[in-house]
Amino acid sequence: MSTIAPTKDSKQALMHEEQDTSKPCTTCKWQIGDPTDPTRGQCTANRTQMGGVWKRWIADVKNTTCDMHEVGVLSFRDHV
Amino acid sequence: MTTLAENIEYRGKVIEFPLDNPEETDIADDMLHENLARPTTERTKRLKARCRVKHASAGEFIDKDVRAGIERMRFITEAHKASEGQPEVIRRALGLENILNKSTLILQQDEFIIGYHAEDPEMFPLYPELAYMAVQDYLESDYSPQPKDEAAEICEYWKPYSMQAKGERYFSQEDLSRMYQVSSMEAPGFATGYNSVVPPYETILEDGLLKRIEIAKGKLSDASKDLEKIPWNAKQLELLEKIDVWNSMIIADEAVINWARRHARLAKIVAENFETDPARKTELLEIADISHRVPAEPCKGLKDAFQAKWYTYLLCHAIDRYASGMAHKEDELLEPYYNISVFDKTFQPMTHTDVVEMVEMERLKVSEHGAGKSRAYREIFPGSNDLFIMTLGGTKPGYVDACSDMTDAILEAARNIRTTEPSLVFRYSPVSREKTLHLVYECIRDGLGYPSIMHDRLGTEQMKYYSQFSKNNNGATDEEAHYWANVLCMSPGVCGRRKTQKTRSEGGGSIFPAKMMELVLSDGFDWSYANMQLGPHTGTIDNLKTFEDVWEAFRAQYAYATSCVIRAKDVMRYFESNFLQMPFISSLDDGAMELGQDAVGLCEQPNGWHNPITTVVAANSLVAMKKLVFEEKKYSLQQLCDALKVNWEGYEEMQRDFKNAPKWGNDDPYADPIIKEFYEDIIGGTMSKITNWSGGPVLPVGQAVGLYMEIGSRTGPTPDGRYGGDAADDGGISPYWGTDKKGPTAVLKSVAKVQKNQKSNLLNQRLPVAMMRSVHGFELWKSYMATWEKLDIMHVQFNCVSNEELKAAQKEPEMHQDLIVRVSGFSARFVDIPTYGQNTIIARNELKFGSDDLEYMDTKL
Repeated sequence: MSTIAPTKDSKQALMHEEQDTSKPCTTCKWQIGDPTDPTRGQCTANRTQMGGVWKRWIADVKNTTCDMHEVGVLSFRDHV
Repeated sequence: MTTLAENIEYRGKVIEFPLDNPEETDIADDMLHENLARPTTERTKRLKARCRVKHASAGEFIDKDVRAGIERMRFITEAHKASEGQPEVIRRALGLENILNKSTLILQQDEFIIGYHAEDPEMFPLYPELAYMAVQDYLESDYSPQPKDEAAEICEYWKPYSMQAKGERYFSQEDLSRMYQVSSMEAPGFATGYNSVVPPYETILEDGLLKRIEIAKGKLSDASKDLEKIPWNAKQLELLEKIDVWNSMIIADEAVINWARRHARLAKIVAENFETDPARKTELLEIADISHRVPAEPCKGLKDAFQAKWYTYLLCHAIDRYASGMAHKEDELLEPYYNISVFDKTFQPMTHTDVVEMVEMERLKVSEHGAGKSRAYREIFPGSNDLFIMTLGGTKPGYVDACSDMTDAILEAARNIRTTEPSLVFRYSPVSREKTLHLVYECIRDGLGYPSIMHDRLGTEQMKYYSQFSKNNNGATDEEAHYWANVLCMSPGVCGRRKTQKTRSEGGGSIFPAKMMELVLSDGFDWSYANMQLGPHTGTIDNLKTFEDVWEAFRAQYAYATSCVIRAKDVMRYFESNFLQMPFISSLDDGAMELGQDAVGLCEQPNGWHNPITTVVAANSLVAMKKLVFEEKKYSLQQLCDALKVNWEGYEEMQRDFKNAPKWGNDDPYADPIIKEFYEDIIGGTMSKITNWSGGPVLPVGQAVGLYMEIGSRTGPTPDGRYGGDAADDGGISPYWGTDKKGPTAVLKSVAKVQKNQKSNLLNQRLPVAMMRSVHGFELWKSYMATWEKLDIMHVQFNCVSNEELKAAQKEPEMHQDLIVRVSGFSARFVDIPTYGQNTIIARNELKFGSDDLEYMDTKL
């Protein structure tokens, strides 16, 4: 069973670029690697009704952040 | 207590379904798979208990002790630096030589087939000469090779020489960025390092490497004489490259012999100095003898054959270069040696049970085989190490049954030992013998998810079809066309001493119609994942006035993507031929040897293919739009797009309408003609216009693996009623999960309609456990298969597992380690799949066979 709390009101997390942010996507538990390019990433904060993930691409994982940032790493069970 | 299937009234009788094995009566439904393993010997029981699987999911390894090794990187780099100035093909051979001469050898307790591809059984090698991004990803992960500084330096050294750096130069930044997304197209092989190969195992088993060296030396001698001919003719300059190729073969083969003999010496040292168990000591000396003789000499018995095959596998799939798969026709390859050892007993005498044990040991070696794949490929085969697929069954020339006792031994071992890999493909023919068919059924009934089934005649005729495009007019003969195996999950390719597929650049790789469907409705712009122009401009909503406009817009998106990815493959092929040669494989290929050409660039038998994945989402979307927008005019296209942009929120009635529109897989008179045309005209018709490196067409192989989940997660809502992020369809031609409502024969009737311009399409079906385990299970399955075969359907694969068991495993994964499921194209340990992926498997409809279905299949109960 997933231990993740659902996103509030199914609203999207609002990613934005912020140079040298102290809360970059690289340290966020919702972020996983880009399939090809390790300088990019994917945000998995948006969870579907069925428990899947509607991902968003992150162009620059070191200088992007949002208000859902949470330090940590999710289990593989909670990803797609 | 086991649940029995409900009675059915059929042909005037009430049919009951008592268990085929009454001893299963007291096994709870949710623990069945934990009670099915029966390793043939105590040894294979021990080997299974300590088996170090290397399953990956969501890009991560399940076992945190698994990591990348450094030796291969180090030794290939050393050799590359030392060989500067030499011909590239010689440098490749010297690289292999350095790795084989210096790498740490692994000899594990209890094993008989020996050899590993990294310096530690928990490790796997990396390939800095392929994709620098893939190596960089490892350096930043928990699986980095150590010391990390050295690995980083090696990665930096190789960057300018890498396939990725070479390939990238010939694409715009825009095209690269689009391919690297893996949302409408898979990333190029030069950016992932992913590969497949069909090694000529037959040559090494039949000839041995000493003979191949002798042939190459003979070629060199002839070439030298030709070069020295008086008067000189500049046409002889053609010989210079050939001389390099033959020389590289000799270097590679001598290195392989030396490497095998290093293993022999190690086994002898352990036997004579460390082993205290007399039986094991004798065995180690036998192992030493085998590795001294093979693969230098021809195999004389079945134990030789297994060991020579394993060394060849390690070299072709891991040490020389990474390649997924395990393509070969294992039963026919080993049958002569089975006959020598089991029937004649003239060399390495064995019983049939000994052979079953040997196959179990091979399966466990494969289960420990780790792959240093890029992140994308660590995502898309969740719950497994990699793809390893062998082919059995089928027919020989004249459509004579090719099944043998060796086929049966492989199937018995698979059934007994229960591992997720290697997977098996069975080539089904009406002449396949009953005894073997029963074993195929037992494996499927036991929930292994394999063998998947391929249509023997269609595959054979396909090889003949491709043969006509051979650039040197030496494609597969009608006889050779019978000897084929699946290159990976789904695509037939010839096996044998010559003409086999040597690189994924010939066939393989994916494109994603569901995402293209999204792009059609947004003028090529990816609003839902990457916020960028992902495809060509094919028109705004205002331009899409008719269904035909939508159809052609989709074709344009698809044509762009297919040409892009196959161009990427051919660019890769160009650089593979010049910088990533494979002297060892070339030495085994009779064509490469005869012609003095490296096997990677040689293309005697074209086999071009590419995998559309998520096709049914696009197909169902077209049907829904045609009906609701363009015919009934209940909604406008703009209204539909508005609803999609907010993920149907506030448009619930519209979402229900689109979800309830006719769907594929129900033998539906509205949906099926549209979808048939979609597959044949666009998916196959557009792709087949492409001519690839080998001079042949490229045809679609509909697939899914775990990409149906990955691409679903990068695709917004679609007009079939799907929500953004939801998984897509789980097969190449399977109905979208939960939408096949008319029973199993309706699915077959739908699928059978799609015939033109296809190479293969994956059909994922789920069999009812209670019926399959009953006294009527085999007859039911046999009649289903006979129907499938007559309908000329290329493929089918099965899950046979109850939702009770799957849900119990979700709650207590540690109690369900033996629970295997068929994801799509491969099998996986269920508890090593992420929760959402597990839920998509639970959601798949189980086939409900009613009396109408039985009547259609003419089932004899």
